[in-house]
Amino acid sequence: MSDAVADVLRKLTVVFTAFEGRLEQTPLIRKLTRGRFELADYQAFLIQLRQQVKDGALWMSRAASNIDESHLELRSSLMRHAVTEHRDFRLLEADYVATGGAVETIRAGEKNVGSEALSAWMFHEASKPNPFGLLGAMWIIEGLGSIKAQEWGRKVKETLVLADDAVRFLLYHGENDAQHIEEFKTMLAMVLPDERTARRIVRTAEVTARLYALQIEEIVA
Amino acid sequence: MKHLAAAYITGAGVFLPGLPVGNDRIEDHLGRIGGKGSLFGKKALRWNGVESRHYAMAPDGTVSHTNARMCALAVEQALERAGLGVGELGMLAAATTQGDYFVPGHAAAVHADLGGPPLEIASFQSVCGSSLMAAKAAWNAVRTGDHRVAAACAGEFSSRWFRPEFYEGTALVDEKHRLRPEADFLRFTLSDGAGAIVVEDKPRPGALRIDFIDIVSLANRFDPCMWAGAPIETRADMTTSWAHIGPRAAHEAGAIALLQDFELLKRVIRAWIGVYLQKVDEGRVVPAEIDHCLVHYSAKSLRAEIVSLLQDTAGMVPEEKWFSVLREKGNVGSASIWLMLEALMQSGRVKSGEKVFCVVPESGRALVGFMMLEAV
Repeated sequence: MSDAVADVLRKLTVVFTAFEGRLEQTPLIRKLTRGRFELADYQAFLIQLRQQVKDGALWMSRAASNIDESHLELRSSLMRHAVTEHRDFRLLEADYVATGGAVETIRAGEKNVGSEALSAWMFHEASKPNPFGLLGAMWIIEGLGSIKAQEWGRKVKETLVLADDAVRFLLYHGENDAQHIEEFKTMLAMVLPDERTARRIVRTAEVTARLYALQIEEIVA
Repeated sequence: MKHLAAAYITGAGVFLPGLPVGNDRIEDHLGRIGGKGSLFGKKALRWNGVESRHYAMAPDGTVSHTNARMCALAVEQALERAGLGVGELGMLAAATTQGDYFVPGHAAAVHADLGGPPLEIASFQSVCGSSLMAAKAAWNAVRTGDHRVAAACAGEFSSRWFRPEFYEGTALVDEKHRLRPEADFLRFTLSDGAGAIVVEDKPRPGALRIDFIDIVSLANRFDPCMWAGAPIETRADMTTSWAHIGPRAAHEAGAIALLQDFELLKRVIRAWIGVYLQKVDEGRVVPAEIDHCLVHYSAKSLRAEIVSLLQDTAGMVPEEKWFSVLREKGNVGSASIWLMLEALMQSGRVKSGEKVFCVVPESGRALVGFMMLEAV
């Protein structure tokens, strides 16, 4: 692996671990880790996750449409990614219903302040020509899938004594994203080395992490 | 501002009580909960990789040395190796997880045992990382010119806390006499002993110059991960700690025990990696320049994905440069880093100009310390 990829991965790992520390301090995750999580917390969490997951495949598609001909391989990767994930929000709806919630409620759920900011930011970045900085956003979001989702899913299931079919999104994501991280390294190598791109990827990761944490901070059941 | 002088580790000493105790005899020393052997112990030993350790407590409960005594013996050996006597010492910094007393501080107990002249002292109570807090105090005492000779010591007598009476009749033991893994893991992991270093303003042959000691606490992020003094479930609420609820109620609630949260530990490990990679990113630590890497954590117990992450991010120090005595001397908490440094210095394998990098992660409430040394 090239030094340029290793340097960016190192900076992204630092951003991710600081992000994880910030999540740990949010009221919602504190309730979860301290065993005080309630069903209403989980349902509020699912509503916000749905916003963000639904948008995910859309901004990825938009980003792909802004990638030029000299980076077709990266464009293909993003398109495949978008296809893989664009129905995942349905899983969140099914989880919500399995907890006893009504499907209309989760579908009518509104973005909180953090989700609004995160969504606006993603579409804004994806609308730029060759929006390679979004690889940094993917690192944060994929990292959540492969590192945090299962951990949260197990804790939610145990605390609320839920059946598997109410925690499928969190548990399922954890199983699938390990290979996404491997694909990620390949994608980085498609745009690096390039000093400006490297800086933009790290900066985009920082902003995405902050806005994602804001989304979690704003969840109050 | 006054110019800070260079300071050097000119001697290291250790004290390990009694004969080595193999894995099959651990509970002969510590005792068995409700008279029954632990089922969890073997698993804990596979995780921690320790094969032999020392206890300052015999199977019949008699104590050979206090924590303070072990520290004093380690300081004496470190001074002797530096060619000094206790009369030349100006400052003593002492570290421990659990001292002989609650009050006063550990350094007073060590000074009382060591004798010698009146000294400046400093006590540091934390977990493994207290070793580097004391080392930093000793280093600063010398480089500011306040003292020409300072010592930093660290000692543990954990086995006292692992006796059955600490757990029996508490919320930590179920009706089948099974101890909660949060407590049992540490019984099979930690052991007794002490280590010390002497810091001087002038080098000697074999001395190591201290380039930096950086200590980073992430207690702002995490709940206690390894602790004593509060029950497992309510530990983040400090009003449930032992002194608030009283000693008898605290014991019944399982608060008078050393405990470890494994789930949280996984997150804390990632946070340590983040702090370390930030040091690499800032150029504070250059992995390729490190000749000897002393980590108070065995390379084998790092999971494969962590090693591959360190490799992917150009942060890994090749495993052949790692040096450890954890397997044969045990995990002695705060003293461990000095056990490793002493063994490395005595091995004669450090050559002039080589860099020795020490890493002391402390799960306590998520802290990690780094020390960079260069052989003169």
